[in-house]
Amino acid sequence: MTQYTCLKIERHGKVGWLINNRPEQLNAMNNTMRDEFADAWLELDRDPAVRVIVHTGEGRAFQTGVDVSEIAGDGVGMERYRDSMENFDVHFTAWHQGVQKPVITAVNGLCAGGAFHWVADADVVIAASDAQFFDPHVSVGQVVAIEAIGLLRKMPFEAVMRMALMGRHERMPAQRAYELGMISEVVDPPERLRERAQELAETIARNSPAAMAASKRALWRALELGLTDACREGAKDLVSMWGHPDQTEGPAAFAAKREPVWADPVADSGSDSAPGPASDSAPGPG
Amino acid sequence: MAGPALARCAEELEPEVSEAGYRTLVVERRGPVGWLVFDRPEAGNAMDATMLAELERAWSELDRDPEVRVIVNAANGPNFQTGLDVVQLSRDPEALREQSRRTKRAELRISAWHNDVSTPVIAAVNGACAGGGLHFVADADIVIAAANATFLDPHVSVGQVSAYEAIALTRKVPFEAVMRMALAGRHERVAAARAYQLGVVSEVVDPPEQLHERAQELAETIARNSPAAMAVSKRALWRALELGLTDACREGAKDLVSLWGHPDQTEGPAAFAARREPVWTTKATVPPTATAGLDAAPSARPPEPGGPR
Repeated sequence: MTQYTCLKIERHGKVGWLINNRPEQLNAMNNTMRDEFADAWLELDRDPAVRVIVHTGEGRAFQTGVDVSEIAGDGVGMERYRDSMENFDVHFTAWHQGVQKPVITAVNGLCAGGAFHWVADADVVIAASDAQFFDPHVSVGQVVAIEAIGLLRKMPFEAVMRMALMGRHERMPAQRAYELGMISEVVDPPERLRERAQELAETIARNSPAAMAASKRALWRALELGLTDACREGAKDLVSMWGHPDQTEGPAAFAAKREPVWADPVADSGSDSAPGPASDSAPGPG
Repeated sequence: MAGPALARCAEELEPEVSEAGYRTLVVERRGPVGWLVFDRPEAGNAMDATMLAELERAWSELDRDPEVRVIVNAANGPNFQTGLDVVQLSRDPEALREQSRRTKRAELRISAWHNDVSTPVIAAVNGACAGGGLHFVADADIVIAAANATFLDPHVSVGQVSAYEAIALTRKVPFEAVMRMALAGRHERVAAARAYQLGVVSEVVDPPEQLHERAQELAETIARNSPAAMAVSKRALWRALELGLTDACREGAKDLVSLWGHPDQTEGPAAFAARREPVWTTKATVPPTATAGLDAAPSARPPEPGGPR
């Protein structure tokens, strides 16, 4: 198992926790943290005991983007960052890593700039009532692209564009993020955020891991395709589960009014079937 | 407080050529903010052939002006925009022949998006925004509305098809709301408060009289950000509506990298650290690579054969 310095990895029951752990730097991502993200997502996704993953932050910020000061002062790190961006070969979110398990992002406090990567790339997002969302890129002469692109496919466009253009001069409160559908739940008081995330994760963990993985794959792929193509590909996902033991266990348990006993999730059933960025050979848009 | 939409005296109601040469629009500058104001209040600001031609010129004029950092699109009179001037269409169809041709070929030049405007655009909607008026809501970057604003799409109530405006809206807000508006026609209006809930607009200004004042304020705030970074970000975000998620991210990554080395990228952090206002390069100095994206335009055009705009 990897030893982590910028992240904390915990397991509570069936829930794996990935916690940003650079609170003094408001959890800004340096090179070490970026590398650790790549490992941590795979470690939790491959652990058969983990059914659902929760991602949150230590301290008063969830995350505040790239640690510009460190990356700028590290020539090799900067070069790596540039190369990874030029090729869009990045590995720090669950989506980048093709994580098949449900991922809940629990936003505590500040969520700024690059932090939106983990909002855009999560399956479920909840936030503490004191969470604040803003994107300061253009206020410091930087372009915002990938994280905003992920967001705008999932919620009203205008709100994303407004955040992109307002920069550091305006913050969106958790309540508005809830109204717009960027998050699905506001936790009040904020101190209850982790407790609620664990509860939510345990609830989701009651569902069939295999069925959730196939559903997750179908829904994320739909963001790559036109409607009819997305339905065609989704139909294949649907049929792929036919004959799986969970498909008989589910109705049987329901009829017997007992909790179902699901088959253990298959670790890494192959990158072709994983969610995550489409490969070059994948069917493109339209 | 009187907004920048110039208060018109009664004797001025007849359209006349303004100093900038516009008859149906008011085009003016207020500090770093360029204003494009519909100015046919007696006709609900409906677009006649003159306005259609002037819109193309006005968007281009403001977008090219290096002093203009943000554009506000607003209206004089009680209504924002009510679409194509059907009175002219019925009395003098010849005057709109050119526009019909463009509509058929998907070559409209009405909105900022049609005209590849790279400057941030705020639509400030008052009163009714109907039918073709929705172009200016769908194609703006930011939309705010007066508390008395209403949105409706009467096309099908007068036997016309709703397409462009509604299609763009379905990419930006919940689909059902757009489809309902398209099918309810003139028989139902979406209120400003509902448009806010749906994310069509990000702000409702109450009292309505403060709409233009607030738009100016919002525009001045945005004008504090790097013009180059905003132009490239805007291009990346609009292009994302053309592509699948992964392809949009890939192209967006190129946009992001394209600004590396630009003076604003060092000026921004330096000013932040020194707690002073940054001094940006003017928007004319956006590097050529920044406009060499997928389709070399802020609003990437869809692939040609299937559906050119």
